[in-house]
Amino acid sequence: MKDKLLLYTEDLAVGYEGKAVVENVNTDVHEGEIVTLIGPNGAGKSTILKTVGGLIPRISGKIYIDGKEPVYASGEMARTMAVLLTDKIHAEYMSAAEVVAGGRYPYTGRLGILREMDYEAVDRAMEIIGVDGLADENFNHLSDGQKQRVMLARALCQEPKLMLLDEPTSYLDIGYKIELLGKLRELADERGIGVIMTMHDYELARNIADTVVSVKDGRTEKCGRPEEMLRSEYICSLFGVDRDRYDVFFGAESR
Amino acid sequence: MHKSRRWIYSIITLFLVIALLTVNLVSGSVHISMSEIIDAFRGAGDPVKSSIITDIRLPRVMSALILGGALAVAGYLLQTFFANPIAGPFVLGISSGAKLVVAMIMITFLSRGILLSSMALIGAAFLGSILSTILILIISKGVKNMSFLVVCGVMIGYICSSITEFVVTFADDSNIVNLHNWSMGSFSGTSNRDVAVMAIVVGITCIAVFAVSKPMSAYQMGEGYAANMGVNVRHFRVLLILLSAVLSSCVTAFAGPISFVGVAVPHIVRHIYKTNRPIVMIPASFLGGAAFCLLADLIARNLFAPTELSISSVTAVFGAPIVIWMMIGRSRKESIE
Repeated sequence: MKDKLLLYTEDLAVGYEGKAVVENVNTDVHEGEIVTLIGPNGAGKSTILKTVGGLIPRISGKIYIDGKEPVYASGEMARTMAVLLTDKIHAEYMSAAEVVAGGRYPYTGRLGILREMDYEAVDRAMEIIGVDGLADENFNHLSDGQKQRVMLARALCQEPKLMLLDEPTSYLDIGYKIELLGKLRELADERGIGVIMTMHDYELARNIADTVVSVKDGRTEKCGRPEEMLRSEYICSLFGVDRDRYDVFFGAESR
Repeated sequence: MHKSRRWIYSIITLFLVIALLTVNLVSGSVHISMSEIIDAFRGAGDPVKSSIITDIRLPRVMSALILGGALAVAGYLLQTFFANPIAGPFVLGISSGAKLVVAMIMITFLSRGILLSSMALIGAAFLGSILSTILILIISKGVKNMSFLVVCGVMIGYICSSITEFVVTFADDSNIVNLHNWSMGSFSGTSNRDVAVMAIVVGITCIAVFAVSKPMSAYQMGEGYAANMGVNVRHFRVLLILLSAVLSSCVTAFAGPISFVGVAVPHIVRHIYKTNRPIVMIPASFLGGAAFCLLADLIARNLFAPTELSISSVTAVFGAPIVIWMMIGRSRKESIE
């Protein structure tokens, strides 16, 4: 069951305007697996996500999504993969529910008119993420954290097999971080959704990720189980932090 | 949510358009009553009055209706493209670019005694629109600040207008009267043939615009999300610009540059309907633009009758304060954020 490959990259090079930021990306995401990309700012984690998502062209290498090379800007791809970006969202005069309903795009007809089943999908997604109380609120008046959760509901209501999440917890307080990551774990376990995301909360990543990939100096440095990848020695070397200073802030690892 | 209310607003605007249309037909230097108008359409009644109605007033009100609607939709498309509500064909200098090319081509051909067809004029205006759009796109790559972009657009507009003035000044005497009227912006002097051409061009383009309202709504959220939804963003951006240019060049070819309708009307419509969704905004903006231009033309014709005002001076009086109000509102919002 969990063997099915949803995402697989082969010697992928990603970057901007023909210049590679990260090369030799060989990553895979299985059904029901949560993969977390870690690494210093500017290492190219988001660039990898954007390239896999087809938002920017790849430099070289191969991407396979759900078993085949993806045809980007197609309805089929939109039903297979959803993205959550850190971009500023333009949503003038839109309620949170209307923003979430945007995720039904690949399922609606020529004019994008929502049917009963689409409204139900919107309600369900908002309930699962726990933002159903915000449905009628003006999206632009929400806090950044609330917006982030609404956008996750939007991605979910797209009913994807694979989710690409760029820092899905960056604006959330610790309570919501735990709740949201718990939801992701449930979605992965129960629905077999594959998740690849970037994150900076390593304490939390340890307990939710199946696989951790580190990105540094233009390559994917290492890949492994979170308990090995997120040990303080490795985190210190990855981010160039002095071990003693790390312990001052996070305490020596005793677990 | 507000669905039923939106229908009511649409019906009210529709009635407003019909009422303004009737008032426009009735009023003028020669008073013609309602019953005489009906006679004129049935082919009965006084032939002079009938001719005033069917050959002069009807084409004029129809062009105000069609071109007013086209301008508002063109403005809405540019606002979607730039993700900014202050964009419009006039404030970005696109109308003036179209005007310049039309004036130059008209004068060149008229001096050789060739009268241009209305399609050729639309073509010339389209060329001018595209050229000034490319210029504004190059500028917008360098600057992200929308107010600055609008200032650049207004400057481009002034440069194009002064070159047009220059060209018109040196044109043949016989051409000047017509050209001068047109370069100031006016719905007068359109024939029923012109109305047929503009109805077809604007009609087809607006249907095409409405047909892409779904990808437009995805595009409004931002390019990344639109791409994820299966929209080919690069192609779609080109399509938006082309559709907008066809509409605004059709307006410029027939009525000259008309100011501020493209910015003010979609803004009012957004405010009243409390939405920016294309599927509502496109038809509602068209109706709103039609009503706005019918009213503006009524004022232009009758306020100082028999002297006529240029249509732009009327639309500017109503439109420019709205644009100022918008810019103040935006800068407040930005300073809060």
